[in-house]
Amino acid sequence: MNSRTIDTGTPVIPADAYDTTAFYADPDAIAVVTNTTAADAVPLPAPNASTAELLTAAQEAGRRAVPAPFAETALVAGPLLRRAGLPVPDGPLSYAIAPELVIRYAHPAASPVGSAGCLGDDDTLLVTGTLRRVPWARAATAVVVLAGAPSGPVLFTLTPDQAVLTPGGNLAGEPRDDLHLAALEIPASQVRRISPELLAEARLRAALARSALIAGAAERCVHLTVAHTAARTQFGRPLSRFQAVKQEEARLIEEAALVRAAVQAAAAPLDTGGPAAHFAVAAAKAQASASAAEIARIAHQLHGAIGITLLSPLHLATTRLWSWRDEDGDETYWALRLARPLTATTLWPTLTTTP
Amino acid sequence: MSPSTPSPIAFPDVTLPESARRLRAEVRAFVDEERARGTVLGRPDSWLAGWDPGFSRRLAERGWVGMALPTEYGGAGRGFLERYVVIEELLAAGAPVSAHWVSDRQAGPSILRHGTEEQRRFFLPRIAAGQCFFSIGMSEKSSGSDLASVATRAERTSDGWRLTGTKMWTGGAHVNDYAIVLARTDDAEDKHSGLSQFIVDLRAPGVRVEPIRLMSGEHRFNAFHLEGVGVSDGMLLGQRGDGWKQVTGELAFERSGPERYLSTFPLLVSLLRELEQRSATVEQLTRVGILTARLHGIRRLSLGVAAALDAGSSPDTQAALVKDLGTRLEVTLVDTVRSVLPTPADPHATPGSHPELLAFALLHSPGYTLRGGTNEILRGIITRGLEQR
Repeated sequence: MNSRTIDTGTPVIPADAYDTTAFYADPDAIAVVTNTTAADAVPLPAPNASTAELLTAAQEAGRRAVPAPFAETALVAGPLLRRAGLPVPDGPLSYAIAPELVIRYAHPAASPVGSAGCLGDDDTLLVTGTLRRVPWARAATAVVVLAGAPSGPVLFTLTPDQAVLTPGGNLAGEPRDDLHLAALEIPASQVRRISPELLAEARLRAALARSALIAGAAERCVHLTVAHTAARTQFGRPLSRFQAVKQEEARLIEEAALVRAAVQAAAAPLDTGGPAAHFAVAAAKAQASASAAEIARIAHQLHGAIGITLLSPLHLATTRLWSWRDEDGDETYWALRLARPLTATTLWPTLTTTP
Repeated sequence: MSPSTPSPIAFPDVTLPESARRLRAEVRAFVDEERARGTVLGRPDSWLAGWDPGFSRRLAERGWVGMALPTEYGGAGRGFLERYVVIEELLAAGAPVSAHWVSDRQAGPSILRHGTEEQRRFFLPRIAAGQCFFSIGMSEKSSGSDLASVATRAERTSDGWRLTGTKMWTGGAHVNDYAIVLARTDDAEDKHSGLSQFIVDLRAPGVRVEPIRLMSGEHRFNAFHLEGVGVSDGMLLGQRGDGWKQVTGELAFERSGPERYLSTFPLLVSLLRELEQRSATVEQLTRVGILTARLHGIRRLSLGVAAALDAGSSPDTQAALVKDLGTRLEVTLVDTVRSVLPTPADPHATPGSHPELLAFALLHSPGYTLRGGTNEILRGIITRGLEQR
C-alpha cells in the first residue's frame, strides 16, 4: 500500500504513518501530496504568496485530504510568527490559542510596578497548563502559542518535545494532541508581547484556514458524488438521470459553491484587518461549518452503501467535514460574534463593505 | 480529475470599480431623501409590489434607469456591475422599483440586443427616462415551466401580424405601456423553433387585461388576453423564429440579480430594529448571524455572475444556482424572523409595522421559489451543467 497517495481511494491510513516532514522538504518542487510523481501534483505556493493564493492552496489541501498541517503552517502559524517578529522555523508548524494557561515571569522584577511580582526583569516565562487538541502537534517542528501573560497578551513558541504529549485525533484520524506544560520555562528570545489585535487576528486566521479546508473537502464531495451518480446504473439508467437524485445533487453543488464563495470573500479583508476582517471571516466560518452537515448528508445519501465503507474515498472528505466544522469555532460561535455588532442601520453597510 | 480543470463550483472573484463606491454613496443619499419624502418604506418584495412611477422617473433623472444602455440611446453607458450596485441598494432599502423593473432588467437590454434601429431609437430613450414601462408575456395557462409549449399564435396579415391567445401571470399589464409577447409564428417539429417575440401596445384594440388577485388580495398579476391584436411588422422583436433563443439567452440576467436574494431583506432589518428595543438573547443573535452569513455568501455568488455577465459570458448554470440558493434564503429568512421574535403576522396592522411586514413577506413567500423559473427545474439545469464539463 502506498501510504503517500491520497486520491487512489486506498483505505484509511493511520495519521502516525504520514510523512509530514517530507511535505516541507523542498517547498519549490514538492507536490501538495508528498508523492511528487502523481500526475495531478500541484506546486506549493511561493513563500511570498498572497492570502488569496494561500487560501486556494489550503482548499486544494482540503480537497485532497493532505496528511500534513499545510493550512495550519502557511496561513496561521507562519504569518503569526512573522507578525510577532519571530523567525519562522522550517517544517510543519501548529498553533494553540490558550488564554487559560497560567503564566508567570521566570525572573520576577525586584521592584515590581503594578501588582506585586507580576513583571519580570526579562520576558522569560514559566508556563503551566494544557494545550488541548493541538493540530498535528506530534509532527510539528514548533507550536505557536498565544496566551495571556501578566503584562498582557503574548506569543511564544515551543517544541512538542518540551511538553508531555497525549496523542489524540479527530474523526478523520488527523492528530489532535494534548500538550501538558508544567512550569515550562520559555526563554525570552522565544517570547513576544503582542497587541490584542494580533490575538484577534490569530483567531481569524485559524478560522479562515479551517474554512478553506472545509471548502476543499466540500468540493471533493461534489466531484465524487457527480462521478458516482453518473457511473452507477440502477433500473437501467444512471442515478443522475433520476429527478429525485438531481434535486439533491444540485443542492450539494450549491452548498459547496456557497462555502467556497464565502472563503474567497474573506481573503482581501483578512489582509486589511479591522471590522471588515472580523465580519468576513466570521461569515466564512459560520457558513462553512453550517453547510458541512448538508454537504456530507447529501454526498453520503447519493453514494449509497459504498460511501459508508473504506472502499470509497468519500469518508476522507466527510469525516474531515464533521471534524473541521467544530474546530476553530463552530457556526454558533462565529454567528454570534458576527451578529453582535449589527444593528438595523449597520446591517446593510456591513454586508456591502466588500467588495 | 485534474486540478487544472476549472472547478464547476468556482465563481469568478469580484472587485468593484472605484466608481462603484462613489455611486453607492450617491444612491444612499438619494434613498435618504426619498425616505424623508415618504416614498421609500422599507417594504419586502418591492420589485414586484412597490409601484411608484414618480419614484421611477426621479430615479431616471439621476441616470439610474436603463443605466447600462449606451448614451446614444439615452442610457448612461455604465457597466453592469454599476447597475448592480444601484439596484441592490434600492432593494435593500425596500424602495418602490416595480414600475420600471422589467423595462430596466429585460426589455431595455433585449431591445438593444435584438431590436431594429428604429425600435432602439423609439423605446430605449423612453425606458431610460422612466416613461415607458414593460410587462413580459411569456407564461400561459398550460405553459409554465414548459415555456416552449406556448399556444399564443401570431398569424401573418397583409401589413403585419395578428396575435391571438392568453398570457398568464403578466405582472403589471394593467398599469404598464407595453408587453413583450412570445408567440408561435410557425409550426415546427421541434417545439423550440417557430417562436417569435413581439412588442405589444397594452392599449391596443383587442388587448383585454383581467386581474388575477394574489392570496393577499393584491392585484399584481393578470391574465392578458390577445383577441386578434394587430401588430405591425415593425414590432417583431428580433428574427422570426428566434424567439426561444432570444428568451433563453436572457435568463442569466433574470435569475442571478440581487432581487433573487434580497426580496425579504427589509424584514430582517425590521427584526433588528425590534431586537434593539429589547435586549437580544444569545440565541436570537446567533440565528441572525447564521442568516447574515448566508446572505453574505449568496451576494458574493450573485456578484460573481454579474462579473461574468459584465465580461460577456453567459453563465446560465451559475445563474440557476444563485436563484435556487437565493430564493430559498428569502423563504428561510421569513420563517427565521417569525421564530426568532414570535409575532402574530397581521396584514391589517399599521402599515410598515413588524407584524404587517411579516404578514406581507409571508403571503408573498411561496412565489419566491416559483417566479423566474421554478427551482425544481433550475436544479436540473445545475446538474446538467456540471455533467457537461
